[in-house]
Amino acid sequence: MKFSRSFKFGGLSVDLRRNGGDHDAVQNAYLPATATVLLKQHEGAAAHCLVRRGELVREGALIGRADGPGQAAIHAPLPGVVYDIRRVRLPSGGDCEAVVIALEGSFDRLGKREERYLWKSMSRIDILQTLRDRGIAETEQPARPLFEVLRPEKRFSTLVLNALESEPYLQSETMLLAGRIGEVLEGFAILRTATQATQCFLALDATLPELAARVEEAAARLTPTPASIRLEPRYPQDMPERLSEALADKRRDAEGETLFVRPTTAFAVYEAVVLAKPFLERYVTIAGGAVKRPAVLKVRIGTPIGDLIEECGGFVGSPERIVLGGPFRGVAVYDLDAPVTKQTSAVLALSAEETQARRRMPCIRCGRCAERCPERLDPAHLYRLVSAGRFEAARAAGLESCSSCGLCGYVCPSRLTVSEALASARDATVKRGKSA
Amino acid sequence: MKKDLRMRIGHAPHIHALQSTASLMWGTIAALVPALVWGLYSFGLRAAMTTLAAILGALAGEALVGLVRRRFTLVDGSAFLSGLLLGLAMPPGVPLYVPAVAAFFATAFVKGAFGGLGANWMNPALAGLAFALLNWPQAMGQWVMPRQLTGIAGISGATPLGLVRESLAAGHAGSDPVGLISQAGYLFSPFDRSVTDFLNRVLFEPFGASLPSGYVDLLVGNRPGTIGEISGILLLAGSVYLLARKLIRWEIPAAIFASYALLSWVFGGLAQGAGFFAGDVLFNLFSGSFIIVAFYMATDPVTSPSRRGGMLVYGMVIGSLSFLFRCFGSRAEGSAFAVILADCALPLFEKIGAQSRRAAKAV
Repeated sequence: MKFSRSFKFGGLSVDLRRNGGDHDAVQNAYLPATATVLLKQHEGAAAHCLVRRGELVREGALIGRADGPGQAAIHAPLPGVVYDIRRVRLPSGGDCEAVVIALEGSFDRLGKREERYLWKSMSRIDILQTLRDRGIAETEQPARPLFEVLRPEKRFSTLVLNALESEPYLQSETMLLAGRIGEVLEGFAILRTATQATQCFLALDATLPELAARVEEAAARLTPTPASIRLEPRYPQDMPERLSEALADKRRDAEGETLFVRPTTAFAVYEAVVLAKPFLERYVTIAGGAVKRPAVLKVRIGTPIGDLIEECGGFVGSPERIVLGGPFRGVAVYDLDAPVTKQTSAVLALSAEETQARRRMPCIRCGRCAERCPERLDPAHLYRLVSAGRFEAARAAGLESCSSCGLCGYVCPSRLTVSEALASARDATVKRGKSA
Repeated sequence: MKKDLRMRIGHAPHIHALQSTASLMWGTIAALVPALVWGLYSFGLRAAMTTLAAILGALAGEALVGLVRRRFTLVDGSAFLSGLLLGLAMPPGVPLYVPAVAAFFATAFVKGAFGGLGANWMNPALAGLAFALLNWPQAMGQWVMPRQLTGIAGISGATPLGLVRESLAAGHAGSDPVGLISQAGYLFSPFDRSVTDFLNRVLFEPFGASLPSGYVDLLVGNRPGTIGEISGILLLAGSVYLLARKLIRWEIPAAIFASYALLSWVFGGLAQGAGFFAGDVLFNLFSGSFIIVAFYMATDPVTSPSRRGGMLVYGMVIGSLSFLFRCFGSRAEGSAFAVILADCALPLFEKIGAQSRRAAKAV
């Protein structure tokens, strides 16, 4: 294979498609009997509930209003009756209000011919307003509401379509892109208008040359034509810091921020602006060694993950851990009732063979973590400092540049929770720094 | 499907690399097995008992500390490995209490007292060896001829390295150490003669060179020495396994080998009065405990640097000190002491290895 571009230090060459299976087409998942729609599906604050128990809602009706910072509008993914409004525990900690909708009545959108709206004449503010009203959020962590990301007062110089899968197992981005190149690129063009970015890039997976060529061909019609860059899919290549590193020499020096956007997000933007469709469904990868038939499904928000696993043939053996998102940065869940949210890129049922969980042992200073750390930190040393409560020393040693890729925890032969300890210490010191 | 399935949760990352600390330890032990088998074959039952005594002593020390700290750590393989390494570094004729007590000291005091695995600043096996050498210098010099040379196990004899020193002290001169030891009455095996003849006929004579007898014995392990050190070729085979499975990094042994071989070649002839660039590299590599120390002891992650730059410097220091002790020192276990000395300066090597100025300040 010819030399392909990547970031400079650390990282891990993993088979990014491992155990994801080869999927021919993305199928719609069965509609759930009840959908549990969280009023907070990302970092930030919960939306204000607009419905009462027993109320009838139509497909796409606004059920959660966003009128403050960090909120995103929430819509009913199914037509039906509001069966319950209750507090549910979030996998990432804390709890939040959720609207439970029992499927009933008829669909306003599903199966109907889609109307297209012209957006070329829309102003930047109009587009932002539309994205806000339709509840569009980033489709992977940190999954901020797109309106927050794009705020009118911000200035962007660069827009990057990040078509790399973020982690092993994940397939949603690739599958979506392969099937919907035109729509994804149109969403990308809308975002170009919304950001007024002067430079555009496509970050494509170098190991999928056929797909990359198709995307490049389709992108040639856009103005300005985005520059294509094929990257080695080495974890964590998809993270903004690593992409910036790989793009460094291509980018002209320009004032302003860079926006990295995933195909699934661009697709949601397309649907919101062109089809006037709120965020009701998304692509979800169901994979892992404990899943019988791994697949990528188009899933309604609020579907319990148990339904998805069942649709994929159920479990093989007993799963050791169930994860929402990727294996390096995802969140483990307690049970199969957890619902799909706007940021659920994958549901993984991992077998013991994959988790390789073991008893914790003391650090033997083997240096494997430092070898992998893309930020060139010495995680073992930081871990010692943090464990001893020496946060200031840890900060001086670069704690704040930890990007929580999880590689140090992955390679640790002693199974220390290095990455978790560093992440929580980093967040604590950042918070303390702000309050001081 | 079970709807009420309750999963265990935990922090990301949710998957891990195959390697674990225990598999690292047991993998290193597996790599030592061929050399151990050779040692047991060469020196007989006595060697087996010596090794066993060391292992049991190490496990006892670990268990005692575990009892005090209420932690059961015997299965992680680290104490077993320390015991095995120490056993392999013992001369086969040593009284059994020497390996047992030294190994107990290694795991209970050098390792356990500092907080167990990962907290010791000195390699436990080497510390145990130093302990034995300082306490029982006479017993630690009880060399035995391997059965390949004498036909039966248990006849005492001197090591090649010891013989070189003796004959130099007695006033003999000569540039090549193998020549010196044969003058002193050291025997080579019939195996050595036939292999050397074969190699000379097939490989060297067409190029006008010839291999003197003796080297094949040194390489294969037909020589007196400690139980584990004698078979250089089996130790090297084990190290290939260690490197292939990524149980050790290549930097430390490579730096040790490079610096040691270079110094041996440049200055190695001085002690025999042969001047510069006349050292016998092959003899120096295979006549002592150099190989087992370079691949199995200096690479202990706990007491070696964790970054490439530090590893290279650490290796070079060990290689240079080993050479110094070997050629101008008085004891055979030069490389062991070289590692112990380098361990003392570990924080310095870590600083060298830190990749950025910020990291260097922090270490």
